[in-house]
Amino acid sequence: MVGAPAAMVSLTAKGNAGPTLKGMPHMPRQTPSPQGAVVEFENVSKTFHSPKGPVHAVNGLTMSMQAGQTIAFLGPNGAGKSTSLNMLLGLSRPDSGRVALFGGTAAEAIKHGKVGAMLQSGGLMSDVTVQEQVQLWAKLHPRPIPVSEALKRANIADLADRRVDKLSGGQQQRVQFAMAIIGDSPLIVLDEPTTGMDVENRQAFWATMRERALEGKTVLFATHYLEEADQFAERVIVINKGRLLADGTSAEIKASAGAKRLSFRLPGVQDAALYRLPNLVHVERQADVVRLQTSDSDATLYALLDAGLRPTDIEIQPLGLEQAFLAITAEDNNHSGGPADGATLEAAR
Amino acid sequence: MNSTITLTKLDVLRVLRNTRYLIFAIAMPSVLYIAIGNSTKQTNGVEFKAYYMLAMATYGAFAGALMNNSIRIATERKTGWTRQLRLTSLPGGGYVFSKVVTSLVTTIPSVLVVFALGGTVFGVHMDAWKWVANAVVLWLASMVFVSLAVAIGYRFDPETAQPAVMLVFFPMAILGGLWFPLEGTLDKIGKWFPTYQAHKLGTDIITDGKISMESVGIIGGWAVLFAALAVVSYRAAQDQ
Repeated sequence: MVGAPAAMVSLTAKGNAGPTLKGMPHMPRQTPSPQGAVVEFENVSKTFHSPKGPVHAVNGLTMSMQAGQTIAFLGPNGAGKSTSLNMLLGLSRPDSGRVALFGGTAAEAIKHGKVGAMLQSGGLMSDVTVQEQVQLWAKLHPRPIPVSEALKRANIADLADRRVDKLSGGQQQRVQFAMAIIGDSPLIVLDEPTTGMDVENRQAFWATMRERALEGKTVLFATHYLEEADQFAERVIVINKGRLLADGTSAEIKASAGAKRLSFRLPGVQDAALYRLPNLVHVERQADVVRLQTSDSDATLYALLDAGLRPTDIEIQPLGLEQAFLAITAEDNNHSGGPADGATLEAAR
Repeated sequence: MNSTITLTKLDVLRVLRNTRYLIFAIAMPSVLYIAIGNSTKQTNGVEFKAYYMLAMATYGAFAGALMNNSIRIATERKTGWTRQLRLTSLPGGGYVFSKVVTSLVTTIPSVLVVFALGGTVFGVHMDAWKWVANAVVLWLASMVFVSLAVAIGYRFDPETAQPAVMLVFFPMAILGGLWFPLEGTLDKIGKWFPTYQAHKLGTDIITDGKISMESVGIIGGWAVLFAALAVVSYRAAQDQ
């Protein structure tokens, strides 16, 4: 049962929502980190020092990823995603805590060709062709797949003879993708992989990623496209302000966020009557139309009817991962005093 | 080591394809030489056409060594290319190694093209061993600027690396007496520059077949200074 409306959570980007209620608490699922985890973070922290004072980019992050999983890594801008990925890949060192790849250091794993990565900030060479660029990457990995195969999978076979620096952003993104898979590495890390790709290439990209996952590879990707996380990830990790906020399947995260929207028309209803309903996460009113976000739409609806109210035009819709993501990060920010320094809810568009 | 060699080969190839390199290190010294160098009057004890051939060969080699790597390293750090390389089996120093070797290789054509022009078009004559000695000496002396390029590349952004390079390039070219022979005060200042001394090593070889220890000492001093700068900026960049 929901108690008094303790905290106000605004779920809409412009902050013009009606009265809101804080719903059920959701705790990050603590995953045990057994032997043989591909990625392990143990109480990892990283602080940057800016003129305005210290920024705790990653703050006691603990998580682990098992072989063969496809994992989406989500968080608002400034949540610490890129910092975490950089530490994961050994590009920067944590101030405290432990990061392990395949039970050892990132440098060792990379040296043995166990990691294929596609960085958001990853540059390409100038004055070389696509073929030469990818060929180089094949030579820099111990067990590469044929270059022609990588070009085909990345849908750039027709660009092989073009100069890399003359390509469009989306085309360069696909070159990066070919480089990430050429090493046939058991772990593939992708930071915003489909940014700049058109719909067709995005679909081709995910089809290829799905094949890699079926081969038993671990695929970890950060993205702003929450539909992609919803569709392709079997596990979703959400971080906020450098901490683990939620960890589970997409369905679990939607459920924990209050994953149904119950809307109806009910002229003249008192706000207080609405607030008494169980399992509420968020309440929105526009004149006679009431929209509730609820973690248990059945219970909420029954309670509404039991209270003697007779709403019309009743609709129950599942919420997408995007709304769930917004709900849990907004709630978390509200809980602990606003977003981290510089953080914005980019997904709230 | 294999991966480093692969990277180096591609790095050499792309410099040879690069327009900036072709203009500054090959075309400009050749054109200047053809335009200005055709004179038999004596300058510093040698015919001007030999004097200016050495000047332009030094100029091409030093410009190539200085310009390519400084801008490239700065740019490739900025675009994240150096980060990308850290996600491969390439050893830690492989990138810098590749850049240095690329400079060693891509300064050779600058010397050879100008020497070929001198030997054929202008009919510069000297003993065969002097041609070889001159080519090797000028090439080695221009290597001083390979480490300076590394220092600039790791210290500056792509935007600021360009002016930093120019700030070094013009005094080194002009006070080194590479564009026109120096006299009086300019000559007294110029002799402390490595470009001046590299060129002088060349004319010394032609006139009396000897290598002056004073020239070697001055060039060596700059080499040590630039190498130290390179190490300092490289280390500072790694810590970021």
